[in-house]
Amino acid sequence: MSATEAMRPYLDKIQTRGLLAGIVGLIACGVGFMVDHDQFWRSYLLGYVYWFCLAVGSLGLLMLHHMVGGQWGVAIRRGLEAGTRTIPLMFVLLLPMLFLGSHSLYEWTHAEVVAKDPVLQHKSVYLNLPGVIARAVVYFAIWILLATLLNKYSQEQETAGYWAVRPKLQKVSAPGIVLYGLAVTFAVVDWVMSLEPHWFSTVYGAMFLVGQGLVTFAFMIVLMRHLTDQEPLKDQDKVNNFHDLGTLMFAFTMLWAYISFSQFLIIWSANLPEEITWYIRRLNGGWGYMAAALLIFHFIVPFLLLLQRRVKRKKAWVGMVAAWMLVMRLVDLAWVILPAFSHSEGQMPQPHLNLHWLNLAAPVAIGGIWIWYFMMQLKKRSLEPLQVS
Amino acid sequence: MADHLETRNSTTTLAGPEPVLAPGHTYATVTDKIAAVPLEVGWPRFWIVGFTISALIFGMLLMTILWLLGKGIGVWGPNNPVGWGFDIINFVWWIGIGHAGTLISAILLLLRQQWRMSISRFAEAMTLFAVACAFLYPTFHTGRPWLAYWLLPYPNTMAMWPQPRSPLLWDVFAVSTYATISLVFWYVGLIPDLASMRDRAKSRFAQVIYGILALGWRGSAQHWNHYEIASLILAGLSTPLVLSVHTVVSFDFAVGLIPGWHATIFPPYFVAGAIYSGFAMVLTLAIPMRAWYGMQDFITMKHIDNMCKVMLGTGLIVAYGYAMEAFMAWYSGNLWEMFMFKNRTTGPYGWSYWSLIIFNVLIPQVLWLKKARQNIPLVFVLSLVINVGMWLERFVIIVTSLHRDFLPASWGMYYPTKYDWSMYLGSIGLFLTLMYLFVRFLPSISIFEVRTLIPRASKGGAH
Repeated sequence: MSATEAMRPYLDKIQTRGLLAGIVGLIACGVGFMVDHDQFWRSYLLGYVYWFCLAVGSLGLLMLHHMVGGQWGVAIRRGLEAGTRTIPLMFVLLLPMLFLGSHSLYEWTHAEVVAKDPVLQHKSVYLNLPGVIARAVVYFAIWILLATLLNKYSQEQETAGYWAVRPKLQKVSAPGIVLYGLAVTFAVVDWVMSLEPHWFSTVYGAMFLVGQGLVTFAFMIVLMRHLTDQEPLKDQDKVNNFHDLGTLMFAFTMLWAYISFSQFLIIWSANLPEEITWYIRRLNGGWGYMAAALLIFHFIVPFLLLLQRRVKRKKAWVGMVAAWMLVMRLVDLAWVILPAFSHSEGQMPQPHLNLHWLNLAAPVAIGGIWIWYFMMQLKKRSLEPLQVS
Repeated sequence: MADHLETRNSTTTLAGPEPVLAPGHTYATVTDKIAAVPLEVGWPRFWIVGFTISALIFGMLLMTILWLLGKGIGVWGPNNPVGWGFDIINFVWWIGIGHAGTLISAILLLLRQQWRMSISRFAEAMTLFAVACAFLYPTFHTGRPWLAYWLLPYPNTMAMWPQPRSPLLWDVFAVSTYATISLVFWYVGLIPDLASMRDRAKSRFAQVIYGILALGWRGSAQHWNHYEIASLILAGLSTPLVLSVHTVVSFDFAVGLIPGWHATIFPPYFVAGAIYSGFAMVLTLAIPMRAWYGMQDFITMKHIDNMCKVMLGTGLIVAYGYAMEAFMAWYSGNLWEMFMFKNRTTGPYGWSYWSLIIFNVLIPQVLWLKKARQNIPLVFVLSLVINVGMWLERFVIIVTSLHRDFLPASWGMYYPTKYDWSMYLGSIGLFLTLMYLFVRFLPSISIFEVRTLIPRASKGGAH
């Protein structure tokens, strides 16, 4: 516990800042809620999904590490474990959105719309509020159970030794990653894909799984970059760790581009009316600039930077790229989520770019609270990596 | 270089207590054991019997091709509406099988996985031979294979240019790039071992042949330096190819708008399926080979266990793909999507869908058990089951999506003819013939790479 004790003032400082940001954000959101009810919930959804991806993504990467091993996982394991312990917070934050905000978000909660639409009637077996809430409980039960077991065994590993407990961690992780993947897939179908309830894409879940991995790697690199500047953890400032983490972030950036582009190519080339509307809304009326920005700054620029060995081997540089990716992940989610709302329905959708200030305030509010809670969790356990011996 | 070795050592400790090379080996015993197969073992009976059978089946392929060229591709089963049959099923099946070799030699090299070293050589050879088999189908489906070069965009006087929007053209580039890089990677990796063979061969003829192939390798520090750089660059080039080739193959289907083909999950799910079938084929080949030639020290239980785990993982991704297709077919609320799925599961080809689920999803779940992964005969049977399952997957995707299209008046059935079957079996004959020749004349396990697995004295004899 020595490193944690020594770093307590530093961690406290970040935690307080997180709390402050959260409070300021919440006040802003409160104002926003008074001004524009619907807009508040839409921005809340954006902020929620962003930080949800980080919390649950930590669980995914932690299980991946337990299964395949590798020094990269040893280096960021404490951060990942703290991330998995924030999942209960994300459950609490989901409830107001489902209970109070769903009418502002989801067309399928409007009985009069569903009554006129045979496709929505067909889907109402799946897309109905009690069903979505019940499934959310199941998803979170799965994630929290996995997080609890992994944290418990990890604690045992401190005393019983690395190899003695590793099989147990693997036995949880192997089926765990299957359950995790399915739960994330259906969760994003429920909460995000159903914003446009006529649209469907089989790769949607995989796209979010990859995005989660990417945002989590980026966050953990930024965290490591700062923690290893502090005194007791300075000896953990290893070039090879940053190199490996940078390579993995590079791989996930490419996977994201790969899945996003394949989905686009497949839908664009078939040009079917029930599918292409998703892209019409996201490439017209100003949203197209955002798509171009994603292509350049979420793929090409990080690709060219992370391709270089010298960038990955300098922690200041790889930390900067990671911080940049944290921003771009928000832009990507904004591009996926927000165009669902900003178009007037007609024969053809008429999209218009609508970047409300709440779209920044809500992610800051939820993020501030998340960081505060995350730091609280991080302080609870040792910060030194578990030695493999 | 020093940094490279250092990280290698750190992964040794992480790899766990199970060794990837049986204890007690020295540099000399590794070289003796592996080089003996082409140089000293000669013509054992199992080789002669196996080779003869394979060559006879290969002969059947040649007869089929002769008949095909004489009569035209009408001797095959494709019809209207099922315009693609065994030709594309087998093409995709073979291309997929090749992927394991590239994954093992490129991605696992970049991930510093040491267990790849003793299986990479023949997995790469398997890739090449599988790609050769895959090439047969589109080439002969053109009907006039001597004009196959028309597929390439080259300036000509016929005012003819391939359609750049067609994924079939992307296939031409993807597959030919893949074949080229795989061949170069395999050959570069062989050079140091070819030099060892040259130095150990007793007959003048073998010395000359291996000597020419070794390209004057003397093992100097400079040679090794160039070798390391070349293999890293080739690994870097091959890595995107593992993804891109089967992605482009999946575009052959997904870019169209036929329900059952037009699915956004196709690219990643085809890639996972390719690796799944590729590892199954590596096991199908490795298990008999290690027994016949006594290579259990090099292809250890740890290798078999790891390959089983890769199969389990990729198999689950494939199962996820099936689940998403089923769920989204219903969730879409789209008449055609829903009909396609109903027809696929309960139509005249329903048996193929359910066999696919049994072969590819249900039976392989026994791989969760460590006991199953350690049971060699069971793993061998499972590898065959998965090979069949992955073949069925392509059959299901291609035939069930095509045979009942949008217009009930044009519905039909597809029946493969005996020439479809003889071409398919014949390609397996070609594949096995090439494998037998490879094992007989070249070191099928990389000698110099396995030698790096021997614990160094300076490490204090940890193992």
